[in-house]
Amino acid sequence: MDETVKDDHGCYTEHGVSGYGIAAKLSRKEAMNDAFVKNMAENMMLSIAQKCLELGARCIGHIKSHLKTEAGNIKADTIGVSHGSFSTGNLTHPVNTLYIAINSIVQGIPEDAVKAATLEGMHEVADHRGLSVVKEKEHTYFDEFDFVASKKDYIKQLEEQLAGGSISDTDEGE
Amino acid sequence: MKITQIAGFLGCGKTTLVLKLSRQLAGDNERKVALVVNEIGEIPVDGKVIEESGMMVKDIGGGCICCEVAATFAKTIYRIYKDFSPDHVLVEPTGVAVPHQVKLAARMGGRDAKISLGPAIVLFDATRPAELLDMDMLGQLVTTQVKDADIIAISKVDAVDDAAVGDSSQRVRAYNAKAEILNLSSFTGLGIDQLVDRILVWKE
Repeated sequence: MDETVKDDHGCYTEHGVSGYGIAAKLSRKEAMNDAFVKNMAENMMLSIAQKCLELGARCIGHIKSHLKTEAGNIKADTIGVSHGSFSTGNLTHPVNTLYIAINSIVQGIPEDAVKAATLEGMHEVADHRGLSVVKEKEHTYFDEFDFVASKKDYIKQLEEQLAGGSISDTDEGE
Repeated sequence: MKITQIAGFLGCGKTTLVLKLSRQLAGDNERKVALVVNEIGEIPVDGKVIEESGMMVKDIGGGCICCEVAATFAKTIYRIYKDFSPDHVLVEPTGVAVPHQVKLAARMGGRDAKISLGPAIVLFDATRPAELLDMDMLGQLVTTQVKDADIIAISKVDAVDDAAVGDSSQRVRAYNAKAEILNLSSFTGLGIDQLVDRILVWKE
């Protein structure tokens, strides 16, 4: 990505809209098929949305996620608890590790609260499903990701971008 | 190079439409189409989803192209013109962008490039009209988007009944008397041909 030049505060801040993004690596001892991953991602989106509402959010803009694995990618999102959560994509085989990027945009609460809800929702659902959060990093882009790259190169790129995690960088212990 | 923005509040279906519209606009290699996707959440989820479809896409993250990162957007437009010279650029601003400010930023990028502006297509989510127009919540932002629209697409019409579609149309008409209003379902494909036609014939 090109260097981004910020001119001013966002117009959206006047309307009380705040956003938070995080990328993380999650792993599980038992392999996860796509039904498991989709269900987990959908629940994660709803959990984050619910936590935002509990913290005082008036409207969920969106909670979106993109999950990358060596067996394919999955996308899950919600525009609010009452609207439900939806996912698309497939995995060709079960996986033990996945990379998730979450983007939460909410109206009515400050960025710190969006961050708290996003992290709590992600950890809570991951823990409940037996996944451990191996690494996480705020405001991480997967920009160097190239969808035609070999699986090896693609995992290497993701690992490099998660290196030096700004929130946690736990040993994998795998 | 014609620049068309697909605007509208968060969650209204912009990314899904952009994917379908770009393929249809490209036709059978009849036109070269590039995409610019902007997200404020620091993580360009939408950009990645589109990228996987094989389209030429440029992510701009870290802020809104109508204000915070307008200069980056202008530079991107110029670079796309210089490096790829596509016939069309579809721009998906953030769900909180103001369409007339996106137009201004695109014009900035067009100072040294031969560009024209296509219509500002603004999506309005038929599944949550009252929530979007509630003045204590997002009303001011959403009505500004609706007022700036050249074409208003009532989105997700497959998910509601005819009465709800009519209700949304009536609500947005109150804020914009001139824009064409059409029904859209990216799921069934309803309205996409019409949008392609409008983009192709649109003159500033």
